[in-house]
Amino acid sequence: MNSSIAKPLIELRSVVKVYESLAGSVIALNGIDLQVFQGEFLVVTGKSGSGKTTLVNMLTGLDRSTSGEIWVNGEPLHRFGPEKAARLRGGTMGVIFQTFELLPTLTVLQNVMLPMDFARRYSRWEQRKRAYHLLEQVGIADHARKLPTALSGGQQQRLAIARAMANNPAILVADEPTGSLDSATAIAVIDIFTGLVQEGGTVFLVTHDKDIAKCGSRVITLSDGEIVM
Amino acid sequence: MLRARWYKVINDLFGNKTRTLLIVLSMSVGLFALGIILSARTILSDGLAESFATIYPSSGTVRTIELFDEDFIESVRKMDDVQEADARRSISVRMQTKSGEWKNLTIFVFADYEDIRVNKVTLQSGAWPPPEHEILIERAALSVIEAQVGDMILIRFPSDVERRIRIAGLAYDPAQLPAQIDGTPYGYITFDTLEWFGESYGFNELHVIANHPEDKDWAQQVVNRVKDKAENSGYTIPLSMTAEPGQLPMNDVLQGILLLMGLLGVLSLFLSIFLVVNTVSALLTQQKRQIGVMKAVGGGTLQILGMYLVMVFSYGVMALMIAIPFGMYGARKLSSVLAVFFNFDLYSMDVPPQTYLIQAAVGLILPVLASLVPFLSNLRISAAEAMSSYTMGKGRFGKNWIDHFLSGANLWFVRKLSIRSILLSVRNTFRNKGRLTLTLITLTLGSATFISVFNVRASLSSTVEDMIKWFNCDTMFALDRSYRADKVQSEAESIPGVTKTDVWIQLPTRLVRRDESESGMIYMFAPTVRPDSLIVSPSLAEGRWLAPGDENAVVVPSALLIDEPELELGGDIVLKIDGDEHVFKIVGTFKGMAFLPIVYVNYDYITKITNRTGEADAVMIATQQHDSVYVDAVTRTLEERFNLVGIEIGLATTINTERRDAEASFDAIVALLLLMAILLALVGGLGLMGTMSINVLERTREIGVLRAIGAPNRSVASVFVLEGIIIGLMSWAMGAAVAIPMSRGLNQALGQAVMGVPLTYSYSLPGLWLWLVIVILLSILASFIPARTASRLTVREVLAYE
Repeated sequence: MNSSIAKPLIELRSVVKVYESLAGSVIALNGIDLQVFQGEFLVVTGKSGSGKTTLVNMLTGLDRSTSGEIWVNGEPLHRFGPEKAARLRGGTMGVIFQTFELLPTLTVLQNVMLPMDFARRYSRWEQRKRAYHLLEQVGIADHARKLPTALSGGQQQRLAIARAMANNPAILVADEPTGSLDSATAIAVIDIFTGLVQEGGTVFLVTHDKDIAKCGSRVITLSDGEIVM
Repeated sequence: MLRARWYKVINDLFGNKTRTLLIVLSMSVGLFALGIILSARTILSDGLAESFATIYPSSGTVRTIELFDEDFIESVRKMDDVQEADARRSISVRMQTKSGEWKNLTIFVFADYEDIRVNKVTLQSGAWPPPEHEILIERAALSVIEAQVGDMILIRFPSDVERRIRIAGLAYDPAQLPAQIDGTPYGYITFDTLEWFGESYGFNELHVIANHPEDKDWAQQVVNRVKDKAENSGYTIPLSMTAEPGQLPMNDVLQGILLLMGLLGVLSLFLSIFLVVNTVSALLTQQKRQIGVMKAVGGGTLQILGMYLVMVFSYGVMALMIAIPFGMYGARKLSSVLAVFFNFDLYSMDVPPQTYLIQAAVGLILPVLASLVPFLSNLRISAAEAMSSYTMGKGRFGKNWIDHFLSGANLWFVRKLSIRSILLSVRNTFRNKGRLTLTLITLTLGSATFISVFNVRASLSSTVEDMIKWFNCDTMFALDRSYRADKVQSEAESIPGVTKTDVWIQLPTRLVRRDESESGMIYMFAPTVRPDSLIVSPSLAEGRWLAPGDENAVVVPSALLIDEPELELGGDIVLKIDGDEHVFKIVGTFKGMAFLPIVYVNYDYITKITNRTGEADAVMIATQQHDSVYVDAVTRTLEERFNLVGIEIGLATTINTERRDAEASFDAIVALLLLMAILLALVGGLGLMGTMSINVLERTREIGVLRAIGAPNRSVASVFVLEGIIIGLMSWAMGAAVAIPMSRGLNQALGQAVMGVPLTYSYSLPGLWLWLVIVILLSILASFIPARTASRLTVREVLAYE
């Protein structure tokens, strides 16, 4: 990949995030400049409290930055309100969380169909077909009619990945996706990401696990809200 | 196939059955209260009017001293302005109850029971027409005379003829005041039976229907014309009156009840709205994280909003499915109870579709509108915040003066208590001030209404007491005609136990308006006005009471000034007495419920202008002791004495009986108020339960921390139960304060509707303490269930939450 000529999929320019609390102001991100390109497997590492999750929240539009610019697929996310940000996220990004964040009252299949429903991407019949296909891809199609609570931790994370891929996003953003999994299951999940990248996908992965970080095509380290390497 | 998001709505609705049940119940209690009030109001106001119309109610009544016959009835029927006329004989007699007590009984005699044309009386049970030498009793009067159908009762006519007569059955006569209210039972016999009592044939009461009965002024003119005709035919008219068109005898009280129902309906509507907002807030708190997730996977605000509004709408549909049938059932039951109280058959229990529509609109649209507020504030927060991990509970404790007040050294005294969790509970109460405010509004409204209901009840009693206080005597006799005052008084004073007597005269009069038109019949009472007079003064609304030496001074009911706008305090009033017009000056107005308007004038002045000096037709007697047993015994002896010396008694009553009857007339209002108070308490309790459930939910991780540092189940539960009690106590204190203006408002509205003046204000301390007990019990109950759930969670479960 030639980052000097390709247009970045995601670009952060001098992004700052300050949290206000009773104890005073906390600078979570301090002038982050970052570019993520198509086909990259970018891994962000850092200690607890270094600003990794805040960075995910900024580039996915889950939260607003205090200052700076965030461009996603050429769109100025930093200028978007929650409504527009949700639409951009639904069409461009798939987000995966450490604690899976599945909707407990929807079946496995319906969890995958939900982002397609929100994005109104496919017909209802196609949504169903595609959801089955994604579940097959992550190896849990047999559990399609179960509720998420009936799945193991690894299966739940596979489901979260399938859901993240529902709208065929340009980039998958995963925040500590293996944090709640045993090492064998964690490797299996990382294998899915690797496979996706090999097929041309882009993955932005946050982890504090150095072994997992090695799987990335590029690794950056955050410390006290700044990129240190 | 549905879209995925609707599956979530359906699964959320039916997946958590307890939550759905709690929300639906909360909503349906409010809707039920609203439905019962709306439907009962319609059934009572429409149904009673419709039922009343079927008896062909009279426009007015003209009573004569001399008896008249069918020829006179026919001549009245032929009058141009008279649509229909009918007559009856009315006689006040005395009857002896099983306990030996003599009571008043009014007997009506009809010539043809199959052809009663005005104020129809119908058979309820037994033989029709009443068999010879037997009597039918009005159905509402049976309890008053302490007898059953088939019993023999002893009746004494004013002529002293006594006969034992069998009760052959029950009649239904809705045109009369229910016996349990005015204390006068009614009986129905034939003229053959009347003859058996030694009375001659003839009528003394004429009931007419004007040709435009709906126009009261016109009806009054027609009644006056009939009266003039009777007078021209040589009859003496002691009483003539015009009825309110289409209104049953106790219409004022019914209007008071309907008004109260309306006011409580509005209050319960407000409570329901607050409850819905509270409940929806609880739901959103539970769903906050899921909302964050949906935003994270691309859900737009409108899409998510739509999902939850459909959910709230569905709760509303379910709540309506419960509230409408139960509200309808309750309304019919309530209407039936009130119909029995007012002695009415409800032919129709139909409720117009508008009532359902209002209920449906309140149940479906209001929750959706009310829930927009918490929805929008919830949806405004970022997805990241909604999904944020543990931040030691929600709320913003520590930011303002309340928090500072509750922290640290200020609560030093709590540290000395053995229950240390009090401190935690006190501070927890103020953590989410928005929710606390909402809960407090709901509970305070409930508290204030409950206490106000008791205040209104106490005020009704005070008002009755005020009315009774007018009469500084123990027993009263209205005489059948005028007697010499000194003879009546000396006979009465010869009875042991009688300490003082006083006399007055009463006259029928009419108000003459500036346009020469005349009002209906007004009772003029002329008591002796002396410092030691037994009638002290009515409870005055404005102005003053009669003074010794007053010449043309008159004290009128305050309601009369409302009905007759040309009258005013300090102004003149023209009253027609025995055909002559006399100008009086209104020196005062009094409070009080009167089914016939009464005015008070000075005895000396009236006897002088009517040439009746030294006469009396009523006597008031004070006795040594004032308890019922003693007063009744003296009254019996007095009655016997008067009979012996030829003083005929028209009506005898004691103050104790009057008080009981007056209180009985408010029984329906009080019962209704209590029912409403219970409903409102339930709504408030459910609101608190919702709040406590959210509090537990929000602090699930804190509970884990408490458990992790060794707090036993009991301590964890007690933190929440105490918090519930603190909220309950705060609402009680605020409700006690809000109840002051609220009950004043209710007193004003109810008093105006029933009596034309506000009720005598009284704050009910028993109501205040009773609500304190109830609110503590409710608070414990409302917080115990969520607290028990919290204390049962394992440490692993609660720390894993979120």
